[in-house]
Amino acid sequence: MTWRSWLKIGLLLAPGLGLILIFIGSVVYIAIAQSFGYYNLAGESGFSLEYWAIMFDRATYSRAISYSLYVGTASAFLAVAFAYPLAIWLRRPFSGSLMISAILKAPLLVHGLVAAFLYINIISYHGILNQLMQWLGIWDGPHRLQNDRNAVGVLILQTWKNMPFALLLLAGAVQSISDDVLDAAADLGAGPWDRFRRVIAPLSVSATQAALVIIFIGALADFSFQVIAGPVNKQSLSQLMVFFKGYGRWNDAAVVAVTLMGLAIVGSGVLAVFSRFVMRGGRLK
Amino acid sequence: MDAVSVRNLTMKFDEFTAVRDVSFDVARGEFVTLLGPSGCGKTTLLNLISGFLQPTSGTIEIEGKNVIGVPPEQRNTAMCFQSYALFPHLTVADNLQFGLKQKKLPHAERKARLSDVASKIGLGPQLAKLPNQLSGGQQQRVALGRALVMRPNVILFDEPLSNLDAKLRESVRLEIRAIQREYKLAAIYVTHDQGEALAMSDRILIMKDGRIQQSGRPDRIYKAPESSFVADFIGGANILDATVIGQVGEKNWRLDTKMGELTAQSDTPPVAKELKICWRAEKAQFGSGDLNTVTADIAHRSFQGNYTDLFFTVDGALQRVQLGEEAGELSASITFHIRPEDIIFLEAIK
Amino acid sequence: MTRTGLNKILLWSLFGVCVIWLVVPFSMAILWSLVDPAEVWTPDKLLPPVMSFYRWTYLWQFSSLKTAMFNSYLLAPSAAILTLTLALPTAYALGRLKFPGKETAKLLALLPLVVPGFVTAIFFTAILFQLGLNAWRFGAILFAHSILFLPYAIRIMTVSFEQVRQDHIDAARDLGASPMARWYVAYVPALKPGIMATLLIVFIQSIEEFSIAFIVGAPNFTTIPTLLFTNLGQAFIRPNAAVLSLILVVPNIIFMLFLERVMRSANPALSSGKG
Repeated sequence: MTWRSWLKIGLLLAPGLGLILIFIGSVVYIAIAQSFGYYNLAGESGFSLEYWAIMFDRATYSRAISYSLYVGTASAFLAVAFAYPLAIWLRRPFSGSLMISAILKAPLLVHGLVAAFLYINIISYHGILNQLMQWLGIWDGPHRLQNDRNAVGVLILQTWKNMPFALLLLAGAVQSISDDVLDAAADLGAGPWDRFRRVIAPLSVSATQAALVIIFIGALADFSFQVIAGPVNKQSLSQLMVFFKGYGRWNDAAVVAVTLMGLAIVGSGVLAVFSRFVMRGGRLK
Repeated sequence: MDAVSVRNLTMKFDEFTAVRDVSFDVARGEFVTLLGPSGCGKTTLLNLISGFLQPTSGTIEIEGKNVIGVPPEQRNTAMCFQSYALFPHLTVADNLQFGLKQKKLPHAERKARLSDVASKIGLGPQLAKLPNQLSGGQQQRVALGRALVMRPNVILFDEPLSNLDAKLRESVRLEIRAIQREYKLAAIYVTHDQGEALAMSDRILIMKDGRIQQSGRPDRIYKAPESSFVADFIGGANILDATVIGQVGEKNWRLDTKMGELTAQSDTPPVAKELKICWRAEKAQFGSGDLNTVTADIAHRSFQGNYTDLFFTVDGALQRVQLGEEAGELSASITFHIRPEDIIFLEAIK
Repeated sequence: MTRTGLNKILLWSLFGVCVIWLVVPFSMAILWSLVDPAEVWTPDKLLPPVMSFYRWTYLWQFSSLKTAMFNSYLLAPSAAILTLTLALPTAYALGRLKFPGKETAKLLALLPLVVPGFVTAIFFTAILFQLGLNAWRFGAILFAHSILFLPYAIRIMTVSFEQVRQDHIDAARDLGASPMARWYVAYVPALKPGIMATLLIVFIQSIEEFSIAFIVGAPNFTTIPTLLFTNLGQAFIRPNAAVLSLILVVPNIIFMLFLERVMRSANPALSSGKG
């Protein structure tokens, strides 16, 4: 490599990768710097651990961490758990399979906010679900289902929205396993469950990891589902961050942002290792 | 009892019938080859025996037990795939042991079988490698070893050598045959390569359009094809239309053909007055003889090393004569004769 | 049971699930969007008592729907073209040149997908405040969208550049083609599906993007998602939210169907069979 070819590659990468690095780099840098008291928009700037110290004492902060971790992990596992059997079922085309995969991917085209609206429309106090349950005689009167305590609504929405994405990744991985390899496993005495456990699962580890991590990060940082369908007495980290920003408390927002990114990195790592361990039958290598 | 016994097997895919009313047996220790052009139904037949397809009608017995409806994982067959179908995430050792673990064999027995098969296929040093670190020939051996280690009732080969280069193919051919003999396995081998079939088989079943056209020992099939398809597919015999014009003595028939009047000698009489006959290129005798002497203009010659193919046209169709050194002396035309016993009667002309 | 029989049963049960999953929610939304304010739709009635397009015309005339649509439909194509332009040089380098650290560069290009959207949004506004550019909302959102969706564009275009066949380029050169002619005969056909896919994906992503538009655009720059969010939260009127939901969904479905076409023509399934 001469300096000329390096220059050429540098110039080619500058508008794409270069911009990404500068933009994301400065966003992350500002977040970290503000969380330690720099770039203070109101008042003095300077290094300080005060914002972190005060934040650690807030109950809302620790509650938001555990709540966001719960939503992120549960959504990731639920979406993958629904997508996996479908991916295996749709591995080989059959009549109608194209239509099914098109329908299953439909939520990809529906905006999350629209999904949230459709959902609360169904479960609302006088909504169709309440009416149906009363008509069937299962419930005596209408139940209040919106903004439930355990964030079931948020989990349903996250799963609905993310399952097609997981399906897309897993279907790609499962379809790339050749028929011959699965036939060979059957020929050597492996039944359907063993074929899954010993061939399909180990060969789709990376797709599962990718699906889990990406869904986890998205759900961990969820804002709109939480605001519309989540429990009223709990806040997600994004909600907390937007709340602080709304009052101009940038440094507090930055502490939450850095927490969010830290959790995203650590959580992704844990999920990736965990799924690899489980799907390779208890071995890491 | 036969290792495999197939009766009246038919397989239909919607409109298309891949296998039509096929019956045959394979004895223990016998090596049977299914030979035919692509699309003849030979791979479908193999998939029916291994259990990947369920037949439309007919029965399959393995070691005397009817296996219709039994899934592949419960059949005691082992398949060598054309693509090898090695598990990409498992080492050679784990690939070889896959079926044994599935059978839940005790550890000691597994180890013993593994080292036995590894030495047999010569892959001892490669046991810890992953399939993509092996050469094509080595992968093929793992596929073979993975099937052998199961000690199946019947081992099935689906064109296992088609991805190897010509030289390697010859040596693996011999190895497969030697191991099959040693373990006294019943083997069913699918190929479209007539050379492979002739060299390896105890018996060949020639298939076309889902039917068995002819079956028998390789030399019998070569010497006595029953149809122009078989005569052409194996060894590319010269085929002619002929009309029987008279019988001479008990076994000799006089025939009128586009190549002139010929006399054929046969233990069985011709099946019809108008029929196809064939003769092998290498049976042509140089120079004129008492009977069946032909002189023709050479249209094309092709030097093959130890012999030369000379082509001439009869009624628009190329005929081939194979000659040794004497071919070199010829320039424009050739005179040869065919012994009457080298002319073979085939099927009637419709 | 045979595989086909099993599939049939699964097919029908899935069909049932789809009815619950898609048909019921959307028909409810359609019905709600048609509720006329003359009479409320009480739970004891199966259908709205009075149905009209009043809500549709009302929202069109008196809400910020028109501005939101104008903003969204100006923003999305601009972002699509800008993203594609920014991505092309990087994709060319990643797809056709060899240099050390290429795999790392490919991974780094995915960074915007990993940082949570609201973190990006909030600290991007912080930067805008620092630079004093916080009034320039359209440009700021366009800039942020273009960078946020670069990973998709770079990924797709890199694959497209990889698929340009060297022997086509060599054949063109061998036959005496100029650089321009080479570009047309070897590059353009291979890149076309990728370009279409990139434009569509960025377009849809930009139309749907909420966090940047919400944080950077607040309070007076509206796009369709932020308008919908307002109507789902503070100003929740069910029929109005129904109308907005439907307006947001329909173009996506059309574009996605189009995208599916493009993708399929770009990646023909290879099949092989033997007897």
